[in-house]
Amino acid sequence: MAEPTAVDPRLLEILVCPLTKKALRYDREAQELISDAARLAYPVRDGIPIMLVEEARALADSEVRKS
Amino acid sequence: MAGSDILVFDRGAVRAHRRRAAAQFAGHDFLFREVALRLVDRLADISRAFPVALDLGARGSVLAETLHGEGVRAARGIATLVEAAPVRAFAHAPLGLVADEEMLPIAPASCDLVLSNLSLHWVNDLPGALLQIRQSLKPDGLFLGAMLGGETLPELRSALAEAEEAVEGGVSPRVSPFADVRDLGGLLQRAGFALPVTDADTIRVTYADAFGLFRDLRGMGETNAVIERRRTALRRATLLRAAEIYQARFAGPDGRIPATFQVVTLTGWAPHESQQKPLRPGSAKARLADALGTTEITTGDKTGPVRPKRV
Repeated sequence: MAEPTAVDPRLLEILVCPLTKKALRYDREAQELISDAARLAYPVRDGIPIMLVEEARALADSEVRKS
Repeated sequence: MAGSDILVFDRGAVRAHRRRAAAQFAGHDFLFREVALRLVDRLADISRAFPVALDLGARGSVLAETLHGEGVRAARGIATLVEAAPVRAFAHAPLGLVADEEMLPIAPASCDLVLSNLSLHWVNDLPGALLQIRQSLKPDGLFLGAMLGGETLPELRSALAEAEEAVEGGVSPRVSPFADVRDLGGLLQRAGFALPVTDADTIRVTYADAFGLFRDLRGMGETNAVIERRRTALRRATLLRAAEIYQARFAGPDGRIPATFQVVTLTGWAPHESQQKPLRPGSAKARLADALGTTEITTGDKTGPVRPKRV
Protein backbone atom coordinates (compact mmCIF):
# COMPACT_ATOMS: atom_id res chain seq x y z
CA MET A 1 0.00 0.00 0.00
CA ALA A 2 1.25 3.47 -0.80
CA GLU A 3 2.28 5.74 2.04
CA PRO A 4 -0.52 8.11 2.95
CA THR A 5 0.14 11.73 2.08
CA ALA A 6 1.61 13.35 5.17
CA VAL A 7 0.50 16.72 6.50
CA ASP A 8 2.81 19.48 5.33
CA PRO A 9 5.13 20.57 8.18
CA ARG A 10 4.21 24.21 7.51
CA LEU A 11 0.61 23.33 8.34
CA LEU A 12 1.60 21.42 11.47
CA GLU A 13 3.39 24.54 12.63
CA ILE A 14 0.27 26.69 12.77
CA LEU A 15 -2.55 24.21 13.42
CA VAL A 16 -4.11 23.90 16.86
CA CYS A 17 -7.27 22.29 18.20
CA PRO A 18 -10.16 24.54 17.11
CA LEU A 19 -11.96 23.92 20.40
CA THR A 20 -9.16 24.43 22.92
CA LYS A 21 -6.55 26.26 20.79
CA LYS A 22 -4.03 23.81 22.32
CA ALA A 23 -1.26 21.98 20.48
CA LEU A 24 -2.01 18.85 18.46
CA ARG A 25 -0.17 15.54 18.22
CA TYR A 26 0.23 14.14 14.72
CA ASP A 27 -0.34 10.40 14.55
CA ARG A 28 1.16 9.47 11.17
CA GLU A 29 0.05 5.86 11.39
CA ALA A 30 -3.62 6.65 11.97
CA GLN A 31 -3.49 9.92 9.97
CA GLU A 32 -5.06 11.87 12.78
CA LEU A 33 -4.32 15.12 14.55
CA ILE A 34 -4.93 14.51 18.20
CA SER A 35 -6.08 17.03 20.76
CA ASP A 36 -5.51 15.56 24.22
CA ALA A 37 -7.09 18.61 25.82
CA ALA A 38 -10.35 18.19 23.89
CA ARG A 39 -10.05 14.37 23.78
CA LEU A 40 -10.67 14.48 20.04
CA ALA A 41 -8.86 13.13 16.99
CA TYR A 42 -9.23 15.16 13.79
CA PRO A 43 -8.95 13.08 10.61
CA VAL A 44 -6.40 13.75 7.87
CA ARG A 45 -7.59 12.82 4.37
CA ASP A 46 -5.04 12.79 1.55
CA GLY A 47 -2.84 15.14 3.51
CA ILE A 48 -5.71 17.53 4.26
CA PRO A 49 -6.55 18.04 7.93
CA ILE A 50 -10.31 18.14 8.54
CA MET A 51 -10.42 20.48 11.53
CA LEU A 52 -14.15 20.21 12.22
CA VAL A 53 -15.32 19.17 15.66
CA GLU A 54 -18.29 17.30 14.16
CA GLU A 55 -15.95 15.16 12.05
CA ALA A 56 -13.55 14.38 14.90
CA ARG A 57 -13.38 11.03 16.67
CA ALA A 58 -13.78 11.00 20.47
CA LEU A 59 -10.71 9.56 22.19
CA ALA A 60 -10.96 6.64 24.59
CA ASP A 61 -9.43 7.19 28.05
CA SER A 62 -6.46 4.98 27.15
CA GLU A 63 -5.62 7.17 24.13
CA VAL A 64 -5.37 10.43 26.02
CA ARG A 65 -1.86 11.51 26.92
CA LYS A 66 -1.47 13.63 30.00
CA SER A 67 0.77 16.60 29.42
CA MET B 1 -25.43 25.71 20.73
CA ALA B 2 -24.71 26.75 24.29
CA GLY B 3 -24.07 30.37 25.03
CA SER B 4 -25.63 31.87 21.96
CA ASP B 5 -29.20 33.05 22.04
CA ILE B 6 -29.80 33.79 18.41
CA LEU B 7 -28.62 31.67 15.53
CA VAL B 8 -29.44 33.24 12.21
CA PHE B 9 -27.77 30.81 9.86
CA ASP B 10 -28.09 27.06 9.61
CA ARG B 11 -24.39 26.25 9.37
CA GLY B 12 -25.14 22.72 8.21
CA ALA B 13 -27.09 24.16 5.28
CA VAL B 14 -24.26 26.63 4.57
CA ARG B 15 -21.80 23.76 4.35
CA ALA B 16 -24.17 21.65 2.24
CA HIS B 17 -24.61 24.53 -0.22
CA ARG B 18 -20.87 25.00 -0.52
CA ARG B 19 -20.28 21.28 -0.92
CA ARG B 20 -22.90 21.07 -3.66
CA ALA B 21 -21.44 24.13 -5.37
CA ALA B 22 -17.84 22.92 -5.37
CA ALA B 23 -18.19 20.66 -8.42
CA GLN B 24 -19.33 23.38 -10.83
CA PHE B 25 -17.94 26.35 -8.98
CA ALA B 26 -15.59 27.36 -11.80
CA GLY B 27 -18.60 28.19 -13.97
CA HIS B 28 -20.10 30.52 -11.36
CA ASP B 29 -17.13 32.06 -9.59
CA PHE B 30 -17.12 35.50 -11.27
CA LEU B 31 -18.02 37.33 -8.06
CA PHE B 32 -15.27 35.56 -6.11
CA ARG B 33 -12.71 36.30 -8.84
CA GLU B 34 -13.75 39.97 -9.03
CA VAL B 35 -13.58 40.46 -5.26
CA ALA B 36 -10.29 38.53 -5.08
CA LEU B 37 -8.88 41.01 -7.57
CA ARG B 38 -10.02 43.93 -5.42
CA LEU B 39 -8.51 42.41 -2.27
CA VAL B 40 -5.24 41.71 -4.03
CA ASP B 41 -5.20 45.29 -5.36
CA ARG B 42 -5.44 46.62 -1.85
CA LEU B 43 -2.73 44.30 -0.65
CA ALA B 44 -0.47 45.54 -3.43
CA ASP B 45 -0.64 49.01 -1.88
CA ILE B 46 0.62 47.92 1.54
CA SER B 47 4.38 47.88 1.33
CA ARG B 48 5.53 45.26 3.75
CA ALA B 49 6.16 41.52 3.59
CA PHE B 50 3.69 38.90 4.82
CA PRO B 51 5.68 35.62 4.97
CA VAL B 52 2.83 33.52 6.41
CA ALA B 53 -0.65 34.16 5.05
CA LEU B 54 -4.00 32.46 5.59
CA ASP B 55 -6.88 32.42 3.10
CA LEU B 56 -9.88 31.98 5.39
CA GLY B 57 -12.88 30.45 3.64
CA ALA B 58 -10.82 29.54 0.57
CA ARG B 59 -12.80 28.45 -2.48
CA GLY B 60 -10.09 26.34 -4.01
CA SER B 61 -7.25 28.46 -5.28
CA VAL B 62 -9.22 31.49 -6.52
CA LEU B 63 -7.37 33.87 -4.21
CA ALA B 64 -4.00 32.14 -4.61
CA GLU B 65 -4.26 32.32 -8.39
CA THR B 66 -5.20 36.00 -8.27
CA LEU B 67 -2.32 36.82 -5.91
CA HIS B 68 0.07 35.00 -8.22
CA GLY B 69 -1.40 36.32 -11.45
CA GLU B 70 -1.13 39.94 -10.32
CA GLY B 71 2.44 39.47 -9.15
CA VAL B 72 1.39 40.42 -5.64
CA ARG B 73 2.35 37.14 -4.04
CA ALA B 74 6.01 37.79 -4.85
CA ALA B 75 5.78 41.54 -4.21
CA ARG B 76 4.32 41.01 -0.73
CA GLY B 77 6.72 38.19 0.11
CA ILE B 78 4.05 35.59 0.80
CA ALA B 79 6.15 32.44 1.21
CA THR B 80 3.47 30.28 2.80
CA LEU B 81 -0.19 30.56 1.83
CA VAL B 82 -2.40 28.30 3.94
CA GLU B 83 -5.89 27.71 2.53
CA ALA B 84 -8.59 27.11 5.12
CA ALA B 85 -11.51 25.85 3.04
CA PRO B 86 -15.09 25.54 4.29
CA VAL B 87 -15.54 22.06 2.77
CA ARG B 88 -13.26 19.23 1.66
CA ALA B 89 -13.90 19.78 -2.06
CA PHE B 90 -12.40 23.29 -1.90
CA ALA B 91 -9.23 22.18 -0.06
CA HIS B 92 -6.08 21.13 -1.86
CA ALA B 93 -2.81 19.69 -0.54
CA PRO B 94 -0.19 20.59 0.49
CA LEU B 95 -1.39 23.70 2.33
CA GLY B 96 -5.15 23.17 2.36
CA LEU B 97 -7.25 22.27 5.35
CA VAL B 98 -10.93 22.27 6.24
CA ALA B 99 -12.02 24.65 8.97
CA ASP B 100 -15.08 26.36 10.38
CA GLU B 101 -14.75 30.17 10.39
CA GLU B 102 -16.43 30.18 13.80
CA MET B 103 -13.85 27.81 15.27
CA LEU B 104 -10.43 28.57 13.84
CA PRO B 105 -7.79 25.85 14.22
CA ILE B 106 -4.97 28.37 13.89
CA ALA B 107 -2.33 28.93 16.59
CA PRO B 108 -2.25 32.34 18.31
CA ALA B 109 0.16 34.84 16.75
CA SER B 110 1.12 32.54 13.88
CA CYS B 111 0.10 34.51 10.75
CA ASP B 112 1.32 37.76 9.21
CA LEU B 113 -1.78 38.10 7.09
CA VAL B 114 -5.33 36.75 7.09
CA LEU B 115 -7.31 37.21 3.88
CA SER B 116 -10.95 36.28 3.53
CA ASN B 117 -12.81 36.41 0.26
CA LEU B 118 -16.64 36.38 0.60
CA SER B 119 -16.92 33.91 3.42
CA LEU B 120 -17.72 35.69 6.67
CA HIS B 121 -21.27 36.77 5.80
CA TRP B 122 -22.52 33.27 6.67
CA VAL B 123 -21.07 33.32 10.17
CA ASN B 124 -23.47 33.45 13.14
CA ASP B 125 -20.94 34.74 15.64
CA LEU B 126 -19.09 37.40 13.66
CA PRO B 127 -17.57 39.11 16.75
CA GLY B 128 -16.20 35.72 17.83
CA ALA B 129 -14.85 34.95 14.37
CA LEU B 130 -13.14 38.35 14.15
CA LEU B 131 -11.64 37.88 17.61
CA GLN B 132 -10.19 34.51 16.59
CA ILE B 133 -8.78 36.05 13.41
CA ARG B 134 -7.12 38.82 15.42
CA GLN B 135 -5.66 36.27 17.82
CA SER B 136 -4.23 34.23 14.96
CA LEU B 137 -2.24 37.27 13.77
CA LYS B 138 1.27 38.15 14.88
CA PRO B 139 1.65 41.67 16.32
CA ASP B 140 1.30 44.12 13.42
CA GLY B 141 -0.30 41.39 11.31
CA LEU B 142 -3.02 42.40 8.85
CA PHE B 143 -6.58 41.21 8.38
CA LEU B 144 -8.05 42.05 5.00
CA GLY B 145 -11.44 40.55 4.34
CA ALA B 146 -14.41 41.06 2.04
CA MET B 147 -17.94 39.99 2.81
CA LEU B 148 -21.37 40.66 1.34
CA GLY B 149 -23.11 43.62 2.96
CA GLY B 150 -26.70 44.49 3.82
CA GLU B 151 -27.45 46.09 0.49
CA THR B 152 -26.87 42.88 -1.42
CA LEU B 153 -29.54 41.69 -3.86
CA PRO B 154 -32.22 44.28 -2.97
CA GLU B 155 -34.00 43.52 -6.25
CA LEU B 156 -34.28 39.81 -5.46
CA ARG B 157 -35.33 40.52 -1.91
CA SER B 158 -38.29 42.64 -2.92
CA ALA B 159 -39.32 40.42 -5.85
CA LEU B 160 -39.31 37.31 -3.65
CA ALA B 161 -41.18 39.00 -0.81
CA GLU B 162 -43.87 40.25 -3.15
CA ALA B 163 -44.20 36.90 -4.92
CA GLU B 164 -44.41 34.98 -1.68
CA GLU B 165 -47.04 37.32 -0.32
CA ALA B 166 -49.07 36.94 -3.51
CA VAL B 167 -48.73 33.18 -3.97
CA GLU B 168 -48.42 31.84 -0.42
CA GLY B 169 -49.97 34.61 1.62
CA GLY B 170 -46.94 35.23 3.86
CA VAL B 171 -43.33 36.29 3.73
CA SER B 172 -40.28 34.52 5.12
CA PRO B 173 -36.67 35.64 4.88
CA ARG B 174 -35.30 34.29 1.63
CA VAL B 175 -32.21 36.44 1.36
CA SER B 176 -29.67 36.64 4.17
CA PRO B 177 -29.75 39.48 6.68
CA PHE B 178 -26.21 40.63 5.97
CA ALA B 179 -24.31 42.84 8.41
CA ASP B 180 -24.59 46.59 8.08
CA VAL B 181 -21.39 48.31 7.05
CA ARG B 182 -21.65 50.78 9.94
CA ASP B 183 -21.78 47.98 12.49
CA LEU B 184 -18.73 46.23 11.13
CA GLY B 185 -16.25 48.95 12.09
CA GLY B 186 -17.40 48.66 15.69
CA LEU B 187 -17.07 44.88 15.56
CA LEU B 188 -13.49 45.15 14.32
CA GLN B 189 -12.69 47.50 17.19
CA ARG B 190 -14.33 45.21 19.73
CA ALA B 191 -12.28 42.31 18.39
CA GLY B 192 -9.16 44.29 19.32
CA PHE B 193 -8.04 45.41 15.88
CA ALA B 194 -6.01 48.59 15.60
CA LEU B 195 -6.66 51.11 12.82
CA PRO B 196 -9.92 49.44 11.74
CA VAL B 197 -11.36 50.52 8.41
CA THR B 198 -14.53 49.39 6.66
CA ASP B 199 -15.80 50.51 3.30
CA ALA B 200 -18.37 49.32 0.84
CA ASP B 201 -18.34 48.81 -2.92
CA THR B 202 -21.14 47.85 -5.23
CA ILE B 203 -20.85 45.26 -7.97
CA ARG B 204 -23.70 45.26 -10.44
CA VAL B 205 -24.17 42.49 -12.96
CA THR B 206 -26.97 41.82 -15.42
CA TYR B 207 -28.74 38.63 -16.41
CA ALA B 208 -31.09 37.71 -19.23
CA ASP B 209 -33.63 36.67 -16.58
CA ALA B 210 -33.95 35.88 -12.88
CA PHE B 211 -33.31 32.19 -13.51
CA GLY B 212 -29.79 33.02 -14.63
CA LEU B 213 -29.25 34.73 -11.28
CA PHE B 214 -30.78 31.76 -9.41
CA ARG B 215 -28.42 29.39 -11.23
CA ASP B 216 -25.41 31.52 -10.37
CA LEU B 217 -26.35 31.83 -6.70
CA ARG B 218 -26.75 28.07 -6.48
CA GLY B 219 -23.49 27.52 -8.38
CA MET B 220 -21.67 29.85 -5.98
CA GLY B 221 -23.13 28.03 -2.97
CA GLU B 222 -24.74 31.28 -1.87
CA THR B 223 -28.38 30.25 -1.64
CA ASN B 224 -30.38 30.89 1.48
CA ALA B 225 -29.35 29.29 4.77
CA VAL B 226 -31.41 31.44 7.12
CA ILE B 227 -32.86 29.27 9.88
CA GLU B 228 -36.14 31.18 9.92
CA ARG B 229 -36.79 30.47 6.27
CA ARG B 230 -39.83 28.31 5.82
CA ARG B 231 -38.82 24.72 6.16
CA THR B 232 -40.32 23.95 2.80
CA ALA B 233 -38.38 24.86 -0.30
CA LEU B 234 -39.61 27.79 -2.31
CA ARG B 235 -42.60 26.71 -4.31
CA ARG B 236 -42.14 26.66 -8.03
CA ALA B 237 -45.13 28.97 -8.50
CA THR B 238 -43.56 31.48 -6.12
CA LEU B 239 -40.26 31.34 -7.93
CA LEU B 240 -41.93 31.87 -11.30
CA ARG B 241 -43.92 34.79 -9.94
CA ALA B 242 -40.75 36.31 -8.42
CA ALA B 243 -38.98 36.05 -11.77
CA GLU B 244 -41.89 37.88 -13.43
CA ILE B 245 -41.90 40.63 -10.81
CA TYR B 246 -38.12 40.95 -11.04
CA GLN B 247 -38.35 41.34 -14.81
CA ALA B 248 -41.28 43.76 -14.72
CA ARG B 249 -39.85 46.01 -12.07
CA PHE B 250 -36.12 46.03 -12.71
CA ALA B 251 -35.40 45.15 -16.35
CA GLY B 252 -33.48 47.77 -18.32
CA PRO B 253 -34.27 48.94 -21.88
CA ASP B 254 -32.37 45.92 -23.21
CA GLY B 255 -34.65 43.59 -21.23
CA ARG B 256 -31.84 42.38 -18.98
CA ILE B 257 -32.22 42.47 -15.21
CA PRO B 258 -29.62 43.85 -12.81
CA ALA B 259 -28.37 42.12 -9.65
CA THR B 260 -26.53 44.26 -7.13
CA PHE B 261 -23.98 42.88 -4.69
CA GLN B 262 -22.64 45.07 -1.91
CA VAL B 263 -19.12 44.06 -0.95
CA VAL B 264 -17.87 45.33 2.39
CA THR B 265 -14.12 45.32 2.89
CA LEU B 266 -12.72 45.07 6.39
CA THR B 267 -9.18 46.05 7.31
CA GLY B 268 -7.60 45.83 10.73
CA TRP B 269 -4.18 45.32 12.26
CA ALA B 270 -3.15 43.26 15.25
CA PRO B 271 -1.89 45.88 17.72
CA HIS B 272 1.82 46.64 17.80
CA GLU B 273 4.07 49.24 19.45
CA SER B 274 5.01 50.81 16.15
CA GLN B 275 1.47 51.76 15.15
CA GLN B 276 0.18 55.29 15.35
CA LYS B 277 -2.01 55.78 18.39
CA PRO B 278 -3.29 58.65 20.48
CA LEU B 279 -0.74 60.07 22.96
CA ARG B 280 -1.28 59.60 26.66
CA PRO B 281 -3.05 62.56 28.26
CA GLY B 282 -0.52 65.02 29.65
CA SER B 283 2.28 63.89 27.32
CA ALA B 284 1.97 66.84 24.95
CA LYS B 285 5.27 68.49 23.99
CA ALA B 286 3.79 71.80 22.83
CA ARG B 287 1.17 73.97 24.47
CA LEU B 288 -2.13 74.40 22.71
CA ALA B 289 -2.31 77.96 24.04
CA ASP B 290 0.96 78.81 22.26
CA ALA B 291 -0.30 77.42 19.01
CA LEU B 292 -3.46 79.48 19.34
CA GLY B 293 -1.60 82.60 20.52
CA THR B 294 -3.65 82.90 23.68
CA THR B 295 -3.16 82.52 27.42
CA GLU B 296 -3.63 79.15 28.99
CA ILE B 297 -6.22 78.69 31.71
CA THR B 298 -5.38 75.59 33.71
CA THR B 299 -8.17 73.22 34.57
CA GLY B 300 -7.71 74.13 38.25
CA ASP B 301 -8.70 77.74 37.62
CA LYS B 302 -12.31 78.67 37.87
CA THR B 303 -13.56 80.48 34.84
CA GLY B 304 -16.12 82.40 36.83
CA PRO B 305 -19.85 82.12 36.85
CA VAL B 306 -21.43 81.12 33.63
CA ARG B 307 -23.36 83.95 32.08
CA PRO B 308 -25.87 83.52 29.37
CA LYS B 309 -24.27 84.27 26.05
CA ARG B 310 -25.33 87.32 24.20
CA VAL B 311 -26.49 86.51 20.71
